[in-house]
Amino acid sequence: MSEDRPTRDPGGEASRPPAFRRLLGDAASALVFPLIAILISFVFGAIIMLLTGYDPIAAYGALFRGAFGSPLALGRTLLGATPLIFTGLAVAVAFRAGLFNIGGEGQFYIGSITAAVAGVYLGSLGVVGMVLALAACVLTGFLWGAIPGALKAYRGAHEVITTIMLNFVAILLATYLALNPFRSEGLVPGTEAIDLTARIPFIGLGLGRANYGFVFGLVAAVLVYLLLWRTKRGFEIRAVGLSPGAASYAGMGIGVNTVLALAIGGALAALGGGIEVLGVYGKMSIPFVTGLGFTGIGVALLGRNHPVGVVLGAVLFGGLAAGAQEMQFSTDVPLQLANVVGAIILLLVTATKLVELVVGKRARALASGTHLERGLGQ
Amino acid sequence: MEDLFGSFGALLASTIRNATPLIFAALGGMFSERSGVVNIGLEGLMLIAAFAGVVGAFISGSALVGLGFGLAAGLLFALIHALMCITFEADQIISGTAINLLALFGTGFVMVLIFGGGGTSPRVSGFKEVAIPLLSDIPLIGPALFNQSVLVYLMYALIPITWFVVYRTPFGLRLRATGEVPEAVDTAGVSVARMRYYGVALSGLLAAFGGVYLSMGILSAFTENMTIGRGFIALAALIFGRWNPIGAAGAALLFGFGLAVTFQAPQEALPLEFIQMIPYILTVVALAGFGGRAIAPAAIGRPYRKE
Amino acid sequence: MTERETGEGTAGVREEAPVVLEMRGVTKTFGPVKANDDVSIMLRRGEILGLLGENGAGKSTLMKILYGLYKPDSGEIFVDGEEVTIHDPKDAVSRGIGMVHQHFTLIPPLTVAENIVLGAEPRRGASLDLEGAVKATEELSERYGLRVDPRARVANLSVGEQQRVEILKALYREARILVLDEPTAVLTPQETEDLFAVLKELVADGLSIILITHKLGELLGVSDEITIIRDGQVVDTVKTDETNEGELARLMVGRDVLLRVEKGASEVGEPRLVAQNLVVLSNTGARAVEDVSLEVRAGEILGVAGVDGNGQTQLAEALAGVRHIESGHVYLDGDEVTRLGGDARQERGLAYVPEDRGTKGLVQDFKLYENNSLKTYDEPPFSRFGWIFPKVMRRRAAEALRAYDVRPPDPDARAGSLSGGNQQKAILARELSGDPGVVIASQPTRGVDVGAIEFIHRQLLEQRAEGKAILLISLELEEVRSLSDRIVVLYAGRIVGEVSPEATDEELGLLMAGRGTEEKSA
Repeated sequence: MSEDRPTRDPGGEASRPPAFRRLLGDAASALVFPLIAILISFVFGAIIMLLTGYDPIAAYGALFRGAFGSPLALGRTLLGATPLIFTGLAVAVAFRAGLFNIGGEGQFYIGSITAAVAGVYLGSLGVVGMVLALAACVLTGFLWGAIPGALKAYRGAHEVITTIMLNFVAILLATYLALNPFRSEGLVPGTEAIDLTARIPFIGLGLGRANYGFVFGLVAAVLVYLLLWRTKRGFEIRAVGLSPGAASYAGMGIGVNTVLALAIGGALAALGGGIEVLGVYGKMSIPFVTGLGFTGIGVALLGRNHPVGVVLGAVLFGGLAAGAQEMQFSTDVPLQLANVVGAIILLLVTATKLVELVVGKRARALASGTHLERGLGQ
Repeated sequence: MEDLFGSFGALLASTIRNATPLIFAALGGMFSERSGVVNIGLEGLMLIAAFAGVVGAFISGSALVGLGFGLAAGLLFALIHALMCITFEADQIISGTAINLLALFGTGFVMVLIFGGGGTSPRVSGFKEVAIPLLSDIPLIGPALFNQSVLVYLMYALIPITWFVVYRTPFGLRLRATGEVPEAVDTAGVSVARMRYYGVALSGLLAAFGGVYLSMGILSAFTENMTIGRGFIALAALIFGRWNPIGAAGAALLFGFGLAVTFQAPQEALPLEFIQMIPYILTVVALAGFGGRAIAPAAIGRPYRKE
Repeated sequence: MTERETGEGTAGVREEAPVVLEMRGVTKTFGPVKANDDVSIMLRRGEILGLLGENGAGKSTLMKILYGLYKPDSGEIFVDGEEVTIHDPKDAVSRGIGMVHQHFTLIPPLTVAENIVLGAEPRRGASLDLEGAVKATEELSERYGLRVDPRARVANLSVGEQQRVEILKALYREARILVLDEPTAVLTPQETEDLFAVLKELVADGLSIILITHKLGELLGVSDEITIIRDGQVVDTVKTDETNEGELARLMVGRDVLLRVEKGASEVGEPRLVAQNLVVLSNTGARAVEDVSLEVRAGEILGVAGVDGNGQTQLAEALAGVRHIESGHVYLDGDEVTRLGGDARQERGLAYVPEDRGTKGLVQDFKLYENNSLKTYDEPPFSRFGWIFPKVMRRRAAEALRAYDVRPPDPDARAGSLSGGNQQKAILARELSGDPGVVIASQPTRGVDVGAIEFIHRQLLEQRAEGKAILLISLELEEVRSLSDRIVVLYAGRIVGEVSPEATDEELGLLMAGRGTEEKSA
C-alpha cells in the first residue's frame, strides 16, 4: 500500500544457502516460536504449582515419565495424539485457504456418530466394515464441513461464527441420534457396541492400547502435505489463502476452494472421530469425549499449520494428556493442571510481540503461518 | 384460563432468568467487538466469574463479596485476553478459544484444590428474589418481571445505559471509531490500545455479572462447565442483534425464551436437542441472510500495528 | 548532495516571515535502508512549501516523523523556534500540526461532523454534543469555503469531499501547520484548482502548508519554496519563482530526464482487442463502465487517460476477463471472448498487468517461482493429472526472472521481499514471457522507481514493435502521452473523446473533467 516505505534490501537476498541448508534453516526457525510458547507455558505451570504448594520438578518429571517413560506410556501418548492429528489437520488445511475452522469439535462428533452407527450395521463385515464406516465418516464430515464453506463462499457468512454455531448443532444432533433412534438396550446411554472384528486393531509392540489409528494419522498427514504442495488443488488453496485477489485474477475460483478447504477439513476431523470410536470406545456413549476439536486448533497453530508440525503438536498434546495421569498419581497434582498448561500454550502460540521480547524483531517473520491477517470485518 | 396465565407467567419469568446472563454477556461482547477485538472468550469469562463468585461467597458467606470475586475474576481473564490481543498481537480467535479452555480447566483444577473434587461445589448464599412494590403486583407480567434478583434489575437498567454510552458519549464515538478505522482514531490523537483495553475490560465485567447470576442468581452453587455454551449463545445474540445493544438484548431475550421452552415444554413434542439447536441455527441463518458483510465493525479481528 | 542547504543558509534572505517549523538533520532507517538521511527542511509562516521527490524518496517518512507516527533515529524538530519531541499524533496536534494523509483516515459509517470532532469532542455534561459538532463544522466550512454537509455519512461522499473533511479535521484542531500528502492524486484538474484556491486562502489566513507531491508541474503554480528530496536526502531547496520544470525534474531524478520517450515507428495492423458497447458494474452495483467501445490494433499503444475512479479499474478487469460484463462484447483477434474467464483469455494470448500488484498481481507470501506459475500452474509442463512439478516451475522462473532483470533473480525469494519495481518486473516476466498478442497494462509504473519505469516503458515499446496490441491505462498523463499512439479519455465510465498524443494539456484536462460530453450531447 504505502509505496514510500522501503522494503528489505533486494540485494541481500542474492546470496542464499543451498537448498538443503535452507530447508534445515526454515525448519529450525519454524520451531523457535512454538518452542518459546511451550517453554513459557511450562514456566507458568510451574509458578501455579509453586503457588498451590506442589513441587513442579517432581510433577513435570512424572508428567514426562507418564508420557514417554515407557513403551506403555508412549502408547498412551500416541493414543491421545491420534484424534488430535486429525482435528489439527482439519484446522491446518482450512487455514492454508485463509479460513479459520473452529468447527473441528462438531465435525469430530459428526464422524463419531457416523462411525458408531455405521459400525453397528456394518460390523459383521469385519475389516471391510471398518473401512466402509471410516469412508462414511469422510463423506459425512465432508458434507458437514461444506456447509460453512458454502455459506462463506456464496453468502458471505463468516466461517468463524458459523463453525462455532455448527459445533453445537453437531453435538446436539449426535447426542440426539445416540440417545434416541440408535440408543442401545444397555444401561450406559449411547449406541450399541461395535463388533470387535470391525474395530481398529492394536499396534502391539508393547505400546498397550495404541492402535493403528495413529498410523492412519501419519498417512493422513502425508496425504495433506501432498495435497497442499504437490497438486493443482493445493496450489489453488494456498494461493486463495494468501491472496484471494491475486488468486481470482489468476483465474482460480475463490468459492470452490473455500468450500473444498472447509469440506476437506470437516472430512479430516470426522475421520478422527470415527477412528476414535472404532479404535478406542467401540461405541458412542453420552457424554462423549469433549474438547479434542478445540485442542486441535492449538495443535495446528503450534505446528504452524504444516502437516509435520501438526503431528509434532498432536504428540505434544497427547503426551500432556497421557502424562497428566501419572503426574496426578505420583505427585497429587490434579491432572487438570496439564490441561491448563495446554491452554496457556494455545494462548501464547500466536503472541508475536511476546516472543519478540525474547528473540527480538525476528519474531514477526517467525510467526508467519500462524496469523490470518484479514480481520473478521471483511 | 387460570392455568394458562399461570404457565404464561412462569414461562415469562423463566425467559427473563435465562436471558439475563445472555444479555449481560452480549452487551459485554459488544463493548469488546465494537472496539475491534473479537471476544469468543465470553463463555470462559462467564464460567470463571461464576466459579470465583461461588468461591468468594463460600469463603465469606456473603453474596456481595462473591459478586466482587466474580467481577475481579472476569476482569482478570478479560485483561489476559486484552494483553494477548492488543499488546502481544496474538490472534483474537485463538486467544478467545484459549480463554475458554483456560477457564474450563482452571476451574476444574481449583475445584479440586478448594472443594477436594470436581462436579458440584457446596451450596453458598446467592442473590434472592426481591419484589419491587407496586410493579410486581401488575397482573400477568408483574411477578415475572419484577420479582427477580437485583442482578436482573441491573440488567434492565444496563440496556438503555449501554445504548447511551455507545451512541451518545464521546467514549462511545471513540469506541465505535476504533472498531471501524483504528488508524483514524490514532491520528486523531486517541490511543487505540487504550480504547481496546477499555472495551475488553468492560466485556469481562459484564460477562462476569452474567456468570455470577448463573451460579448465584439462578442456582446457589457452581457446577463444572455450568455455562454449557451460554457464552456462545450470547455471542450469537450479539451478531444476531447486529452489534447494537438493543438488538443484542432483543436477540438474547429471544434465545432466553428458547432456553425457557426447553425446560418447560413436554419433551415428546420435539426432542430437547432440536429446541436447543435453535439459537445456533438462527444465527447461522441470519449471518447467511444479511450477507455477513459490512455489518460487523470493519476492523474487528485485526491487530493494530503502529509500525 | 553537493548543493545541500540547511535552514540557516536561507534564513537571512527572507526575514519578513518567521519560521514556524524546522526539521534539522532527521535520519530514519528501516533495516538496511536509509529512508531519511540527515534531512532538514524549513517552513515559514504564511507560506506553502513544496516537498518534491519520487516515490520512495522519503517524503512520507519525513512527514510521518513530523506527525509522530515514526520515531526518528536522530534529528531535531523546532516549532516556533522551540525544540519539541513528538511522540505521537496527539503531540503533533497539540503543537498545531495537522495532516491530510494520502490514504484518508476517515470512518465511513460515521457522519462528517462525528469524524471531524473525533478525539476532541464538544460535550454537554457527560454526553456528546452532536449539535455543537455540526455547528462547529458548519462554521469552519463556511469560513474557508470547504463545502460539505456535516450530517452526511462519510461513506456517501465523493473523494474530493472526503478530502475537504480531512482538511476540516485538521482545522478543527486549530492546526497552523498543515501537511498534505499527495493531495491531488485523486482529484480532477478542476478539483485540484479548487483545492489550491482553498490552500491559498488558508495561508492568507496565517497558516503554513507543506505540500508533498511527485508531480513537479503542479508545485510551480502554488508553492513559495520547493525542497527536493532524492534517495532520502535533501538535494536542494529552491524558490519557486526562480526555477522551472526542467530544473526540478533534474534535481528530483538526479540526471537529465527524457520527458519524451523515443517511440520509433511501428506498423499498425489489424485490430486485435476490440470492445463494443461494454457495460460493467462496480462492486457496489453502480454502472462503472457505460457503453464503451474501443479498438486496439497490432503495433499500437492505445492510452486511456482519466482521473482515478472513472471506470478504469472496471474496464481493465472486464477486458481481462476477471469482472462480469453486464452487456456488450469483447473480441480477441476476431474471436468473441465476452463470456470467457481470465484463464481462457490468457490462453488465447491476453496478458494483463493489473494496477494493484500488491494484492492482485502477486501473492506476496508465495515464492517467485510460484508467482511465475500463478496462471500456468495447471498446464503442462508444470502440471499433469492434477499434480504439479515445482522443479519445472523453478527452472522456468529462473529464466524469466533473469530475462526481465528482476533482482534478486532467485526463484525461491518471497515476492513480498522485493521492491515495488522488482515486483512489477516479476509480473511483466510472467505476463510477457508467454509471447502474448494483446497486453493490458493498468498503471504499470505506479509507485516504482525511475529505473524500473524506464525498463517497463522499454518493454511496452518493444511489445509494440513486435506487433502486439497494447492498452495502457494510466493516471499519469505524461506517461500516457509519451507512450501512446492514440489516447481515449475516460470520464464517469464513458469514453468522452479521442485525441492524439500531441493534444494540449487544456484539451485533455477539459476532457478529463467531463467537459467534452456536455457539448456533444447538447
